[in-house]
Amino acid sequence: MTQETLIQAAIAVLLLPLVSYLVQLAAGRRLPRQGDWLATGFLGLAFVLALTIALYFLSAFDQTLVYSANFQWLNLGKDWSIQIGLKLDNLSAVTLAMVTLISFLVHLFSIAYLHDDDRYATYFGYLGLFTFSMLGIVLSDNLFSMYMFWELVGLSSYLLIGFWFHKKEAAAASTKAFVTNRIGDIGMWLGILILWSQFYTVNLDEIASGIQNGQFTLSTGWLTLGGILLFMGAVGKSAQFPLHVWLPDAMEGPTPVSALIHAATMVAAGVYFIARVFIILTPDALTVIAVVGAFTAFMAATMALTQNDIKRILAYSTVSQLGYMIMGLGVGAYSAAVFHLFTHAFFKAALFLGSGAVIYAMHHEQDIREMGGLRKKLPVTFVTYLIATSALAGLPLFSGFLSKDAIIAGGWGWASFQGGGWYTLIPSLGLAAALLTAFYMGRQVFLVFFGEPRNQDKFDHAHEVPAVMWIPLVVLSVLSLFPVFSLNPLAGDSGWFMNLIPSLQSVVPGVDGAARLAGLAELTHHAHWTTVVSSILMTLTGLAIAFVIYMKKAVDADKLAASLRPLYLMSFNKWYFDELYEVTVVRGNIVLAKVSAFFDTFVIDFLVNVTGFIVGFFGLLVRKFQTGKVQSYIAFAVIGILVFFVLKGIL
Amino acid sequence: MILSALIFIPMLAALLLILVPKEKTDLFRWIALAASSIQLVLVAFLIQNYDQSLAGINQAETYQFVEKFDWIRVSAGSYGILEITYFLGVDGLSLPMLILTALVGLIGVISSFTIDKHVKGYFISYLILLSAMTGVFVALDFFLFYLFWELMLIPMYFLIGIWGGPRREYAAIKFFLYTFIGSLLMLLVIIGLYFSYVTNPGAAPEQMVHSFSMVSMMNQQNLLPGSLLSAEHWRHIAFLLMFLGFAVKIPMFPFHTWLPDAHVEAPTPISVILAGVLLKMGTYGLVRVMMPVFPESWLYFAWGIGLFGVINILYGALAAMGQTDLKKLIAYSSVSHMGFVLLGLASLSTEGVTGAVYQMFSHGLISAMLFLAVGVIYDRAHHREIDGFGGLAKQMPVYAGWTLFAFFASLGLPALSGFVAEALVFMGSFSQPVTQNLAIVSTLGMLITAIYYLWTYQKVFTGELNPKYAGYPDLTGRELTMLSVLGAAILIAGIYPSLLTDLMTSSVNHLNDLVKSAGTASAGLN
Repeated sequence: MTQETLIQAAIAVLLLPLVSYLVQLAAGRRLPRQGDWLATGFLGLAFVLALTIALYFLSAFDQTLVYSANFQWLNLGKDWSIQIGLKLDNLSAVTLAMVTLISFLVHLFSIAYLHDDDRYATYFGYLGLFTFSMLGIVLSDNLFSMYMFWELVGLSSYLLIGFWFHKKEAAAASTKAFVTNRIGDIGMWLGILILWSQFYTVNLDEIASGIQNGQFTLSTGWLTLGGILLFMGAVGKSAQFPLHVWLPDAMEGPTPVSALIHAATMVAAGVYFIARVFIILTPDALTVIAVVGAFTAFMAATMALTQNDIKRILAYSTVSQLGYMIMGLGVGAYSAAVFHLFTHAFFKAALFLGSGAVIYAMHHEQDIREMGGLRKKLPVTFVTYLIATSALAGLPLFSGFLSKDAIIAGGWGWASFQGGGWYTLIPSLGLAAALLTAFYMGRQVFLVFFGEPRNQDKFDHAHEVPAVMWIPLVVLSVLSLFPVFSLNPLAGDSGWFMNLIPSLQSVVPGVDGAARLAGLAELTHHAHWTTVVSSILMTLTGLAIAFVIYMKKAVDADKLAASLRPLYLMSFNKWYFDELYEVTVVRGNIVLAKVSAFFDTFVIDFLVNVTGFIVGFFGLLVRKFQTGKVQSYIAFAVIGILVFFVLKGIL
Repeated sequence: MILSALIFIPMLAALLLILVPKEKTDLFRWIALAASSIQLVLVAFLIQNYDQSLAGINQAETYQFVEKFDWIRVSAGSYGILEITYFLGVDGLSLPMLILTALVGLIGVISSFTIDKHVKGYFISYLILLSAMTGVFVALDFFLFYLFWELMLIPMYFLIGIWGGPRREYAAIKFFLYTFIGSLLMLLVIIGLYFSYVTNPGAAPEQMVHSFSMVSMMNQQNLLPGSLLSAEHWRHIAFLLMFLGFAVKIPMFPFHTWLPDAHVEAPTPISVILAGVLLKMGTYGLVRVMMPVFPESWLYFAWGIGLFGVINILYGALAAMGQTDLKKLIAYSSVSHMGFVLLGLASLSTEGVTGAVYQMFSHGLISAMLFLAVGVIYDRAHHREIDGFGGLAKQMPVYAGWTLFAFFASLGLPALSGFVAEALVFMGSFSQPVTQNLAIVSTLGMLITAIYYLWTYQKVFTGELNPKYAGYPDLTGRELTMLSVLGAAILIAGIYPSLLTDLMTSSVNHLNDLVKSAGTASAGLN
């Protein structure tokens, strides 16, 4: 294939979901079956094309292979212009295939899941728009179009989270998602502005080479600040502390949408974006990123422990796993972080769709306390769910183990590279989160699929889901097995993925990029086996605790919760972030708005009216001279002229 | 003659309307529609024949479609010759405004089809307004400019005062007085300029020609030595006075309070014209007059102008968030969005100034769409209380969709025109040291704007349908036409901005260079 064919294929992949959106919006209702086959077909075609591109890159197996195409978007008659374009390299090629595959499977799943919805056609249109926006980010070679697609992802998530807008919670959740993301986007935009004002280009490669050549004329502190600002965008989209609050609420959207948002699109966008700007981030900026990621991984895992909504548990799990990826990037384990983005995308999509299957089978029951024993009723869902859970929990032989392990090993390597001390806290948090993850997933699986049914009526009516729903589950769970990524079940770095997409070297002046890269790799390598052993131990411990409490019932969960009440409440109420933001940010905003509106009416406009009144009052006085008598006018005129001459004489 | 045709066709149509008997209400509508359609066709012709490489601004010879005749010419003895010319021309600053005027003017006519009170008088006023607005955008002689400027006031006064809401008289008088005081300040400075500039410097005193030509006043060699405005402090004072005149129209904080009142009382089509075109007069005055005529003052006050821009952006957005009336909210959002124009112009960078002019265009389309959307629901519910609705998206899905489109356009969603404008303003103002701190603060506006629009949408359109509104019809064909035409324009301008920026680029760059170089050269002035 020539470069042109590849680029054209990539553009076709990008545009097919957009076409799907436009067709569904314009004519979806009038098409047979409301056009679901058309939208799904478009995505299927996009996936085939994307897979072809990915296979081309895989077969070339060249770490440096890059094809790009640029065009001028805005030329303002200066020696610079805004060029936007797309770039195909290993990362974007495989991501393209991943996104289109998951989107295709979500389309398929939705055919059954939403079949009786009033706005069925619109729904498929929105899925197309969402996929289009995400693919735009993946393909962009520049910050400007990335930002544009970034905001379009915000729009699509707004539309899909609020798809059932007649529910108050859904409408509120969509607003919250968009606004929270905007906070991050402002930071990201300021970061872009810093780079723009320095280089007058938005192209990432040009910016990177500009920085490498020392053309960044501000101090390194500014570069660090710029990196942290860019990272703010990812904090929003990838739901990192402190902007993670939108994600659990986003569960108000239809469940297949959750799979799309929390696996392949949106939340992945933040991580992908940081991967794209990784080489221009200063070590200080990276440290901030590592700290935020590790903290988020731990914090969200603690929140997941006590939730009862099957989707909310997965939502906090997503936040936690994204924390791992962000932490991975922060500690320089670039390759591992991107790897985890992939493995997580498949197993988390499997979990969300699996939970969708459970919810569907249970007639829209989402509370795990109402479930139980479902493995008999939903055998296919059960097996696929179990595989995906194992991958998420980090059991060997599953994909999640490979990537999570690589991140934590990278964390240890980085900590020793930095000289130990408090830096070891970062990988430690990662390890602790691994235990928590195993526990909450164990709890969920035991409560949902094992034991006795706790709601006999709903259990009796449950039945295995149709093929369009279980086929995606099977595909995704197969992709959660270790051989897909690495033939060695204990070492992800021996697999194709991490070799195809290796870690990158910093271009920041003053940092010896090559030495840093080599140093981190060396120390990470040393940490490998201890990490393997410790993380397996953590996972097994977590599962064992869950087993003891929820299967053996050796410890009563309620009593345990009561004895640890403050901790339980902290977890159950999600560390009270929503409450905190409500009384500070939200209330503060409302008060400020009310004060402004009041000030405008009762101060500014009042002054205007007072001025008007005073002028009017003088008008009344002056009116007395308007007698209507010609004689008096002449008299006034004569007096005026006299005064003028007198004044002129004096001056 | 095409520019004269552009200006006077609506006025001729208005004359024609006088002859039509009062009962033939449909005929008024169709004549107005025809006049405004012809305007749009003429503007298309202008675009077609426009040479993008020519800059205009201070070079009389690079204006296009120029019409210039001596109008009044008297010899004042030793004082020289006093001249007023009929001088029209188009450059890259005025062309986008003409496109906007013709498009929004046409949409306004379509929207006016529902007016059924004194239809004759309404359309006569409307057409005169259309002529006057067009005139302002093509006049290059200050006298003419001022004439058209004042001519806008009268029909607008009646359109609000007769066809408006319950407090229409208060709003109309407030609008009239406010803008009229602004105009007087402007007139004062125009006269000062008139006596301080000649078109043939160096000629014998009797031969010196005092002209109202703006173009001549943009060339500082035409400044008469020893005249009033050759002194720097007087120039600054004159600048501020005239700036005030334009600031009222923008409207700039703290002179903006006439706007919410005028909007709330004005009928829908007049709100569309007011927000879509009339608000652009103020900022057009800044680029057409203030920047090239007073470059050194512009540089001197740039930061302050930018500061007021930021105040507009943030204060307007916060005040919008505090409103309970949907139309008032959108009026305040106009205040907020026009702040970007001030910020962009203050930056004196290519991106910033392009963004500012783009914002004028884009905001014209978006605010027109927003006011139409408010009009749709007001026509049905006869109120605009944000808290009084709920769940309308269920009942009126198409309407909800277009309103959401307009909201997202206004909050700066990429692929729509507002984003292009605001992004350029941010890029320009951030990269210039003078306005960098202002640019940083103003990004907060992005957040507040998103909050108030999405809250509003949430309150009005989502949740369970308020049973009071069950049975409301969705958009009519006429409403859908207006909204979708504007929507399409916003989308095209958002995806493919070069269509418009290519028309502007030469002029914008020339304007920038002029201000910057004249600003440094004027250091020699005293």
